[in-house]
Amino acid sequence: MSFYPQSPVHIPSELVLDFDFFDVPADVSDPVQIWHGLVRRGAPPIFYTPRNGGHWVFLRYSDIAEAYRNHEIFSTHKAQIPPLEPYPVLQPNGVDPPQHDVFRKILAPMFTPLAVRRMTDGLQHRAEGLVSGFAAKSGCDFVKEYAAKFPTGTFLELFGLPEERLPEFLRISDTFFRSTDPDIRAANLLEIFEVLEALFREKERNPGSDIASTVVQSRDADGNPFPWTDIINCGFLLFVAGLDTVTNTMAYVWRYLATSPDARQKFRDRLDDPSAFLLAIEELMRINAVSNIYRRVTHDCEFKGVQFRRNDRVVLPNTVANRDQSVFKEPQTIDLDRKVNNHVTFGLGPHRCIGSHLAKREIMISLQEWLRQIPEFELDPDQDAESVFGGPVMGFTSLKLRW
Amino acid sequence: MRVIANMNVCQGHARCEDLCPEVFSTDAIEGKVVIEQPEFPPELEEKVRMAVRNCPEGALRIAKGTGV
Repeated sequence: MSFYPQSPVHIPSELVLDFDFFDVPADVSDPVQIWHGLVRRGAPPIFYTPRNGGHWVFLRYSDIAEAYRNHEIFSTHKAQIPPLEPYPVLQPNGVDPPQHDVFRKILAPMFTPLAVRRMTDGLQHRAEGLVSGFAAKSGCDFVKEYAAKFPTGTFLELFGLPEERLPEFLRISDTFFRSTDPDIRAANLLEIFEVLEALFREKERNPGSDIASTVVQSRDADGNPFPWTDIINCGFLLFVAGLDTVTNTMAYVWRYLATSPDARQKFRDRLDDPSAFLLAIEELMRINAVSNIYRRVTHDCEFKGVQFRRNDRVVLPNTVANRDQSVFKEPQTIDLDRKVNNHVTFGLGPHRCIGSHLAKREIMISLQEWLRQIPEFELDPDQDAESVFGGPVMGFTSLKLRW
Repeated sequence: MRVIANMNVCQGHARCEDLCPEVFSTDAIEGKVVIEQPEFPPELEEKVRMAVRNCPEGALRIAKGTGV
């Protein structure tokens, strides 16, 4: 019998469920289903699980939206699950307004729709090069050969790093996101910080027009440089936020397209109509929300009739909010022409994902280029069923496709 | 009819710009909404309404007439 931790006494037993979102049972082929299984089983809309250090789960769109907007109760500061210290205070996402606004303002101009549109040629070039590397073969491991390389290459470019460092960055990000060994994790974290340290020192000496240079050259309201730790932790956030999320969203998108000839046709029909293409991408963003976001309760309080204690952790599963039938018509259906699509895949409120426009453009361009070179494809029946994972970002370590 | 944005609520999702670029754009500093044509022509009404309904923050609304 496995160890089953106790719940704190202030939580009524009817609000307690045994739920571990890191654990994907052997019969589940898609980690998203562990969340939707909760809804199907009639789990309370706000419930507590003693797993992973103990935390709350919100299941209603309206409660999740409110938590995103109310940083006075639901803070992003030190919100890790399970509680984890020391952990870098990510800038700006690990702090709440008004402190949050300082680094947010530094980054914002580099991630506006306007700025992202200017990155189109670079993204297009990268996608074209990667796809042409395997299009002539009859198949590939999509995650390893495309979905991991594409955003990591983009990160290198945005940070003013040479393409030759791709293998090194793929290695450190793979370890960061997938390793469960505490010693390997600790060494990996040190390595990432060493890389960022060297990068920002170099950009301080020889600034360019990249994001790292902009961050390191920024000054506070009095004209002074920002604390070095904040600069490094801002780099760390961009590393953490932009790689795994895009990789796994791509894996979900291609996994769906590989099994849906109609959807492939719809996207191919829209190849020359970017706004129609983008609208359909938006629906894939809704249905394939890979992130489960953490918050920490700032003080003892009541929210929606439930008693919370200071430092309680909360998980906001975007995939559940995005399929709430009180907000979305036929929420489990993928409708590439969906008219009203207020999904929360990129969060809401002041911490709304600053990279959302880049993420969407990366997915749009990587898909356009793929469909131009590989218009038809399907799942490889040899796919390893063990390649799924849950946790804060859900996805697949491998996705074999063939054509 | 005119469309109004609550700038305290806009977080720069830019869905409005995607759905109706004739009326909405975004600024280069924060990426928040810029309403290029507050008093939009009737033929754009449907597109503007979709932009309003798709704002994840509920930052946009349509007002009748030309006043506030």
